[in-house]
Amino acid sequence: MIDDIRTLTAALARDPASLAYADLAEALRRRNQRDEALRVALQGLSRHPMHADGHDVLARIYSDMGDLDRARLAWSKVLEIAPDHGGALKGVAFVRFRQGDSDAAAAALEQALAVDPSDDAARRALDTVRRTPMAPPPPPTEPAARVTVSAPEAGPAPSPPPPPPPPAEAARVRPPVFSGFDRSTADILLLDERGLVVAGGLVSSAGTDVSEVAAAGLAGVSGEATRTGEYLGLGGWRTIVAEAESANLVVAPVGEGALILVRRDRSMPVGLALRFAERARGTASTWLAGQGA
Amino acid sequence: MSDELGRALDRISRVRGMRGSMWVSAEDGLPVAQLLMEGVPGKAVAALAASLVRKVSGTAGAVGAGRVRFVQMEASGGTLLVALAPPDLLVVALADSRVNIGLARLEMMRAAQAASR
Repeated sequence: MIDDIRTLTAALARDPASLAYADLAEALRRRNQRDEALRVALQGLSRHPMHADGHDVLARIYSDMGDLDRARLAWSKVLEIAPDHGGALKGVAFVRFRQGDSDAAAAALEQALAVDPSDDAARRALDTVRRTPMAPPPPPTEPAARVTVSAPEAGPAPSPPPPPPPPAEAARVRPPVFSGFDRSTADILLLDERGLVVAGGLVSSAGTDVSEVAAAGLAGVSGEATRTGEYLGLGGWRTIVAEAESANLVVAPVGEGALILVRRDRSMPVGLALRFAERARGTASTWLAGQGA
Repeated sequence: MSDELGRALDRISRVRGMRGSMWVSAEDGLPVAQLLMEGVPGKAVAALAASLVRKVSGTAGAVGAGRVRFVQMEASGGTLLVALAPPDLLVVALADSRVNIGLARLEMMRAAQAASR
């Protein structure tokens, strides 16, 4: 990533009128250098005001910053320029959903699917939106999230984490795949092949749902593990165990691209945590197979 | 290679199934000292191990697990093990699937703790 940023910065320095500013802003955004990303995006757009992908990046930066109104305006601008821009349609859906307008979110996702019927992310998001019970619009000072629907991404990196819903609410809208497991909605997380949370949950010691944050991080871990296995001739990775100060984490692939994360207290021996994770993986695998995944 | 670092690698390399061990700079993923079997790509192991640890540490921090001390990645053809030796070193080991992870971990953590003192 750092190399990407260096390369793109050099490319932009050589040719300040280049469209590389959008890639550079996106790379900076993914490194959480939001202010710098915003500066690069705005500077680039001042030269290329009709560059749809530039506005798309700008929208994602605003979304990361929690400025949903500006994000929506930027995605609307993209759609003025390129009405079939799938990323912007999903972006608008994301913002609408976060603002409590499920109908508008569904309409935008249906449009995204009309443009690209093979867009699985849009299809899943639409399913999620339709499954979600209608809720009254939240007060303007509170996060509007009712379920975990992620903002769109241009590449393979994970979506920016939206403000977390309360754990109980998150658990309510996720299928009870791990019921029967200890702390089934607080310490076990199942992600699909797109890095989206599909079951379980991860709750911080403060009681907030950190599932989306974990999902974002796990995409990077999985990618790095795959790369490591390939480069070193180790083959496909089976598990990653991280022993940390206050908890042990076990990450494992489930089927074709899905991932499971299990967090166990440090007091549980690593071997036992691995067995627990293996059981949870088996359960997840069976459930995913039943879903046709 | 300093004597102390070399001795630690020697102890780790005696564990059955071990293909190589190294000290790696955590910041830039460059090898500091290494004891590898022929054919083990030291620079690649160092770079990839450091990168993996960064990613894992980021996730662990984000989910409240705290600072990572040891990482093991098990794959179909072997295992990559990393012990963190704060503030700036990693003990990295590459092993085949016969390795006794518990024993390797013990030696690696011992080396990491000695280096951190």
